[in-house]
Amino acid sequence: MNEELDSQLSAMFDNELPPAECELLARRLSRDADLKARWGRYAVIGAVIRAERGVTLDGAMAGRVSAALSLEPPLSPEAAKPARRALQYHWWQPIAGAGLAAGVAAVSILWLRSQALPGGSHVVARTMVAGTSTLAARIPTSAPQNVSASAPDSFVVPPVPQRPMMVVPATELADYVVAHSAFSWPVSRGNLLSALMVSEPGTSSTPAGSEQPAPGVQGNAIQNPK
Amino acid sequence: MSADVSDLSLVRRVQRGDKGAFDALVLKYQHKLVKLVMRYVRNPAEAEDIAQEAFIKAYRALPQFRGDSAFYTWLYRIAINTAKNAVVSRDRSPIEYNVDRNSMDTDESYDMQGRLKDSETPEGLVLTDEIRSTVNAAIDALPEDLRTAIVLRELEGLSYEEIAASMACPVGTVRSRIFRAREAIDRRLREVFEGGLGRAEELG
Repeated sequence: MNEELDSQLSAMFDNELPPAECELLARRLSRDADLKARWGRYAVIGAVIRAERGVTLDGAMAGRVSAALSLEPPLSPEAAKPARRALQYHWWQPIAGAGLAAGVAAVSILWLRSQALPGGSHVVARTMVAGTSTLAARIPTSAPQNVSASAPDSFVVPPVPQRPMMVVPATELADYVVAHSAFSWPVSRGNLLSALMVSEPGTSSTPAGSEQPAPGVQGNAIQNPK
Repeated sequence: MSADVSDLSLVRRVQRGDKGAFDALVLKYQHKLVKLVMRYVRNPAEAEDIAQEAFIKAYRALPQFRGDSAFYTWLYRIAINTAKNAVVSRDRSPIEYNVDRNSMDTDESYDMQGRLKDSETPEGLVLTDEIRSTVNAAIDALPEDLRTAIVLRELEGLSYEEIAASMACPVGTVRSRIFRAREAIDRRLREVFEGGLGRAEELG
């Protein structure tokens, strides 16, 4: 037997052979009975040096395993693929995930807006200011434009302050306030009720400073604390 | 150098359908595995059966082995689980090994009781004893540098680089010394195996 080959076999047994040489020698080792027998004896030498008591060294067990496996079908290359494919990492996976999440969020926002804007909703001024703000809230949203179109800005119609607006369904808000009032802190409850009463169509005619409850809202549930 | 490169190249061959490569893995690790299983079952014949079962399980599970850990680490876990399951099922089974524990005070006597259960044990025992004495005699006859190199490798598990540092010589010299030590021992060992008792040659 070739001495260089045996030297490679010894190094391979110790996992000290370069990978490229390992590939070639592994192929030969799996087919060459003499080489395999030598490989088995290298294992026996190691077992004796380590003084592994109770271990039989005749190689019978390896023969039995080989005989048992001869009844098994050989492993197919395809059998190993699904596990590898399932765990394979692609660079685009986090980007696709983020894109999908953003798409779902955008669709949800658009759908909510389309549900809130038409019909049964109205605009509520977010911050209420006594006096002029109350007066302005009584005027329909299109009124300032009409007034300003027919007459120049004057002292009669104060300009409507440009504030951020919030779209709130009236019925849902009233239901929420009624349910919330049983548990909320009186001061915050008053702020919420003020906003609600001003925004309600029926309350827009209520004189400023009046504390009459809005129609459709239980009087005992709405109390504006001083 | 990767710690598992040769095992991995054999594993890849098995995964591609080359059963002969699995024989090489069995030959390499059979003794270690039996020794490992004997921590759980002290009967050598039973330990061999469990180790054999572990190898067969490993072969069947090899398509799922991705090489994230060393092959022996993976095989080790399979063997441990197989041994634990065997112990549990044996304890539940009404048919027990008829071992008189009062007479099994020492490891050696218990070990012998287990060995005598194997129908092939007399022949196997003779061969094993002969192999041991041959290898030990061959090691004693080795030059000091070869003996040190092979013992550091096999007994201490040092890498070639660590042995080179320990013996103050190049890695190539270590590789050569270990190979020459193995060749010298194997020359004598081959005579034992080819003397009619050996069965390792039946593989392949």
